[in-house]
Amino acid sequence: MRYEVTLGGRRLRVERDPSGALTVDDRVRAVDATQIARDLWTVTLDGRSVEVAVLTRDPLRLWVSGDEVAAEVANERELALGGATRGTGAARQEIRAPMPGLLKALHVREGDRVERGASLATLEAMKMENELRAPDGGTVSRIAVAAGAKVEGGALLLVLTP
Amino acid sequence: MKRIRRILIANRGEIAVRIIRTCRELGIATVAVYSDADRGALHVRLADEAYPIGPAPARESYLAGERIVAVGTRTGCDAVHPGYGFLSENADFAALVADAGLAFVGPPTAVQRALGEKTSARRLAKAAGVAIAEGSDALADEPAARAAAERIGYPVLLKPAGGGGGKGMRIVRGPDELALAWRGATGEAGSAFGVAALFVERYLEHARHVEMQIFADTHGNIVWLGERDCSIQRRQQKLVEETPGPAVSDELRARLGASAVAIARAAGYVNAGTAEFLVDQDGRAVFLEMNTRLQVEHPITELATGLDLVALQLRVAQGEALPFTQDAVERRGAAIELRITAEDPSAGFLPSAGRVSLFREPAGPGVRVDHALFAGSPVPTEYDPLLAKLVCWGPTREVALARARRAVRETIVAGVPTSLPFHARTLVEPDFASGRYDTGYVASHWPPPAPLELDDDAAVAAGIVAVLTRASRAPAHGERNGQSRWDTAAREDALR
Repeated sequence: MRYEVTLGGRRLRVERDPSGALTVDDRVRAVDATQIARDLWTVTLDGRSVEVAVLTRDPLRLWVSGDEVAAEVANERELALGGATRGTGAARQEIRAPMPGLLKALHVREGDRVERGASLATLEAMKMENELRAPDGGTVSRIAVAAGAKVEGGALLLVLTP
Repeated sequence: MKRIRRILIANRGEIAVRIIRTCRELGIATVAVYSDADRGALHVRLADEAYPIGPAPARESYLAGERIVAVGTRTGCDAVHPGYGFLSENADFAALVADAGLAFVGPPTAVQRALGEKTSARRLAKAAGVAIAEGSDALADEPAARAAAERIGYPVLLKPAGGGGGKGMRIVRGPDELALAWRGATGEAGSAFGVAALFVERYLEHARHVEMQIFADTHGNIVWLGERDCSIQRRQQKLVEETPGPAVSDELRARLGASAVAIARAAGYVNAGTAEFLVDQDGRAVFLEMNTRLQVEHPITELATGLDLVALQLRVAQGEALPFTQDAVERRGAAIELRITAEDPSAGFLPSAGRVSLFREPAGPGVRVDHALFAGSPVPTEYDPLLAKLVCWGPTREVALARARRAVRETIVAGVPTSLPFHARTLVEPDFASGRYDTGYVASHWPPPAPLELDDDAAVAAGIVAVLTRASRAPAHGERNGQSRWDTAAREDALR
């Protein structure tokens, strides 16, 4: 089985042949991975000890001996499908409420062009006003919630298309 | 005053737990209160007794003073400790407690009123001969704020006259930002403190936020215990505090101590208090406000002085004299506190709610962790995002920082994004490490210019766990080692 893992800005090819031998980026590695608890693993790689915790699953975020990193995994089938499902940044972006709260204000309208980092909306939660910013530039193709609405965590607020 | 035998703790989270601990040591019975969101909370479980006080929103529970005092009376408490935040600086609550015949662990109502209203505190400090930041009295409306800002000169800080903790404050850099800031600050101040009055103060750039801990008893004794540099903040919320302040000379420390004591004396202060100052690059200090409660960051003063500030608060509240004089106060070594909050530093410190799925606490020499976390503990949206305080002590700042660096990397909090990555990077950042920082530090240093890079082996290990985790969305059965997980991964991927 072959996988491609994206960790922050880095890509790794992880392969395991039917005998169980593990190759990472074409290098055979002696790996011992043990699951200590549901979200905690200890991995030794040719003797080097690394502890890995799963911080969140969706999106996948890992804690790696004190550092935190976002991870994405694609298997052979998904790799074969290529760019169709895994964009190279040129994808539609759904802006969702990171937590439940009150959508105090919307700073954009449908059809607006926004730059990366532009303030899209203000969400009041935990007694603080939080600015939601555009993760990338794009056009506001849809606004799903009106200003003043109470929203659940994960609720779709608006959609940006490149 | 009578001895405290049973105390109601009008708070939640780590501070309620911290107060319970000292009470246990002193043989004082503890009564906790909790909202619907906190049924399984640690403070509920550690207290001797616990009573529900209402729904999750603070207004209907931890801010419902009458309900809380009623629990105290009904359960035969003789004192109330308010912790910090919530009702801790609410003079009406202190009056309610006193009227019910209970001792309030904090200054008397009149002192709370005089110092809690910030413009009145400024007048009092000025009369006591302490320099204050240029500013206005309470403002009636936006035009009044505009006029005051013009007089003082931009940038100004728009601040709520009531409340504390930096909530509702806005930096206003020019006239065009005033209208929006006025609306936002009025709203936040009103919802957080129930008092919407605002005033403006000159905003000093490149200043340090240095505060001085004082203690006063009912016999006229007042001492200062040392400073805390709290300049590492974003949106006026502190992230890191340390003592001694890296830029505080013995002369400045003595001056801040004397100023804080002068204000306390003029106000007739009793119990623990903190005078906040801004200190500019030339060591000039101006008084900002007095916090009439225990501070979040009090543990660094405890580690440096060897005192238990909550125990001292209780002694003072039952009428005892302070058991030491100013000359006997010793400060040793250096201490630093890192606030672990449920905020995502990679997304502008956006607060997050959810559930802590895994928590590993650091330990070892010089490390103290004040928290109310456990695996499975909910992080409700209704309250402050503070999850834990990691406090490290060392005989020198260098050792304290080395301990903090290793302790941060030992800590795991999974399930919600936290401020830990900010701390891990800041502790090794050269300006911070050498003590060269001011209140603009976070804005100028975060996010860091280069993203974090895992070393090759760490990346390989992470990559392997990423693949194995993807295959284990369903709970694990039986075998828990990596080899069987690989097989599961392969099987699931064949079916996908």
